[in-house]
Amino acid sequence: MAETTLSKSTQTTRIAIIGNPNVGKSTIFNYLTGLNQKIGNYPGVTVDKKTGFFHHNGEHFEILDLPGTYSLFPNSEDEIIAHRVLNNTHLETRPDYVLMVIDSTQLSRGLFLATQLIDLGINLAIVLNMADIAEKKSIEIRTFELFKNLGVPILQTDARNQKGLDQIKNLISQRNFTQAPTFLNILEVIPEGLLKQVRDKFDLENNYQAYQMIRFGAKDKAILEAVRIWLQQLCQTEKFNLEEAQLEETKIRYAKITDLVNKSLFKKTAPKPKSNLDRLFLHSVGGYLVFLAILLIIFQAIFSWASYPMDWIDGFFADLGGWIQSSLPDGPLTRLLAEGVIPGIGGVVIFIPQIALLFGFLAILEDTGYMSRVVFLMDRWMRPFGLHGKSIVPLVSGVACAIPGVMAARNISNWKEKMITILVTPLMSCSARLPVYIILIGLTVPDETVAGFVNLQALALLGLYLLGILGVLATSFILKSILKTDEKSFLMTELPSYRIPRWGDVGITMVEKSKTFVLEAGKVILAISIVLWVLASYGPPARMDEIRSQGEARLENVLEEEQIAEIEAETSAKLLENSFIGIMGRAIEPVIKPLGYDWKIGIALITSFAAREVFISTMATIYSIGGDVEDDLTIREKLDQQINANTGEKTFNKATAFSLMVFYVFAMQCMSTLAVVKRETKSWKWPLIQTIYMSGLAYLMAFITFQIFS
Amino acid sequence: MRLGDSRPMTADQLPLNHSGKILEILPSPLKINLMELGFLPGKYLTLHHKAPSGGPLAFQMDETLLALRSKEAALIRIELI
Repeated sequence: MAETTLSKSTQTTRIAIIGNPNVGKSTIFNYLTGLNQKIGNYPGVTVDKKTGFFHHNGEHFEILDLPGTYSLFPNSEDEIIAHRVLNNTHLETRPDYVLMVIDSTQLSRGLFLATQLIDLGINLAIVLNMADIAEKKSIEIRTFELFKNLGVPILQTDARNQKGLDQIKNLISQRNFTQAPTFLNILEVIPEGLLKQVRDKFDLENNYQAYQMIRFGAKDKAILEAVRIWLQQLCQTEKFNLEEAQLEETKIRYAKITDLVNKSLFKKTAPKPKSNLDRLFLHSVGGYLVFLAILLIIFQAIFSWASYPMDWIDGFFADLGGWIQSSLPDGPLTRLLAEGVIPGIGGVVIFIPQIALLFGFLAILEDTGYMSRVVFLMDRWMRPFGLHGKSIVPLVSGVACAIPGVMAARNISNWKEKMITILVTPLMSCSARLPVYIILIGLTVPDETVAGFVNLQALALLGLYLLGILGVLATSFILKSILKTDEKSFLMTELPSYRIPRWGDVGITMVEKSKTFVLEAGKVILAISIVLWVLASYGPPARMDEIRSQGEARLENVLEEEQIAEIEAETSAKLLENSFIGIMGRAIEPVIKPLGYDWKIGIALITSFAAREVFISTMATIYSIGGDVEDDLTIREKLDQQINANTGEKTFNKATAFSLMVFYVFAMQCMSTLAVVKRETKSWKWPLIQTIYMSGLAYLMAFITFQIFS
Repeated sequence: MRLGDSRPMTADQLPLNHSGKILEILPSPLKINLMELGFLPGKYLTLHHKAPSGGPLAFQMDETLLALRSKEAALIRIELI
């Protein structure tokens, strides 16, 4: 009894895909929609709304990929979304049809959710996926028996190997979904009088919907407060114990499912033996060594592979800026475009190789089933700091770049653990800090070997990384007692069987994550870079004009190219000194003096708020190094000659350089991270708190460092 | 714990590589989560892995390997088999 109603508002038919975690939902979603996907937001929550489109015989279908869930009773933000979409809570539009994906080897667990959907009165079809694994495990499912008892269409597929997927397309285009008769009579659990009152008040179609309404009435903030209070009072007057009812429902439902599974499933297997891979990967010592080795390989790959495309991107945007400057008539607009907008966009695009690669690796680890093993191994070491086993992924990613790290934190379902993870991840020393560390270490730490093999410079670098990790742990520990949540922290996770990754899905993840970053964080980054450019290029007009004409006057008398370059470099240094940012740098000098910095370093601190590596290029401009700023040695020699006007000593003595390095270990100094934190927490509150905290911590630690070494 | 001893215990006390039959899930806010995952009276589970230093436990139940923290496993009353 296929239904053919189209949704009233448009000609597009809306279909939601739902299922337990790790059942191949995303593969089916990717197969149907390809790259024709869109990531949006659900109002009020941080969960991404994944929709996609596919066309068949001139008809349009909108596919909604719901977050994986075990039941309609939500434990996390992810799961509450499924509930809202299916129950038509006024903020969401209910889909016309629902496609339920079940792992064939986990039939009972899948049917638990499927029969709840049936009871809600949803137009449903079931896909029994992972037929290949079921076959390997000698599990045979009699689909006809299931169909007879459930009353909804059932398909068998093996999405990983692309088998049976065309059947799904046919099923959708024929709208072969069914509203089946109720599976479990909820009246066994809840008195009819109560349900009737709720049904009448909200004009609901059936008792199970009424039951859902009661369940969520008290919890879901998307429901009006008056309604919530009405529902709570109703439960009180009727002396209805919701928790008891849920447990009872679960028990009865599982009992009925077990009967059904006994009838429809043949299994010839003995109890599953321990996997040999797990003997190694979950080993008390070997497991950690393997994890460490995998990390080393990933970082090696990210640092060596990503640097090529990053250099190309860097070069391309530099050339583009130069081309615009030389081919368009000179003026404020051209300069804004060439020096503000283009480098701003370049500053966003430059992160794509790292983000894409890191998410590629994470997708592979996730898809093979290895990631949940890491969670298993690390949970115990994360918990004392208010973190979850799942926090290890963002933290480790943070060593490459905090941006994908913060984005990866969304897999953590507990709000408090997720927030702590997001807030501390930028304290891990990322790759953008490396150039700053290297120049300053080269300047002040002798290239000597102690104790036979330990290089002092390497030791200093290691010290900075460890300092960052210490910052992460200490901050987490503090946040643990500050942040409050009612959610109970738990780790109940499946350790799925090992599998070969689905390369297509890995590719789509890489594209989608990069796209999300560019589109969502890119806007903020672009805006801040333009503001910073304006501040660095403009100053009090009279003063700026004077410097320019002085520079031109000096140029008139010289012919040698070397001298010309020198004068031009000096002029641009003077211009920067007198720009608004220069004025700001001077203004903050009293504040940063206790850290051992002069106003020139102050300017670099302000400009490098955009991104830490900007510190180097600003230093190059301000000390009028000119020429090739990429050459570390030139910068280093030049910096080494600088004299601090306040003290008459070398500007970059040990105390100042150490203090600066420590400052960069802790300071936020990355607007891209800021933009991503804003995106992930859906508010400016957290990125602001984070910036204030990190800057404060950086100041304090840099102060202490300076005092120790001076 | 001696083999063949059928005193009731909770799943976190199960010795490594031993199996038990679930008797009941003790009351707790997490009871519903455990039941939804398939931890139901009458099912058999085997402790396959223990993370070091009191970390999570991995139980094989039917076709699935499931990880729980020990305080969650302590909610599952079993008899050793």
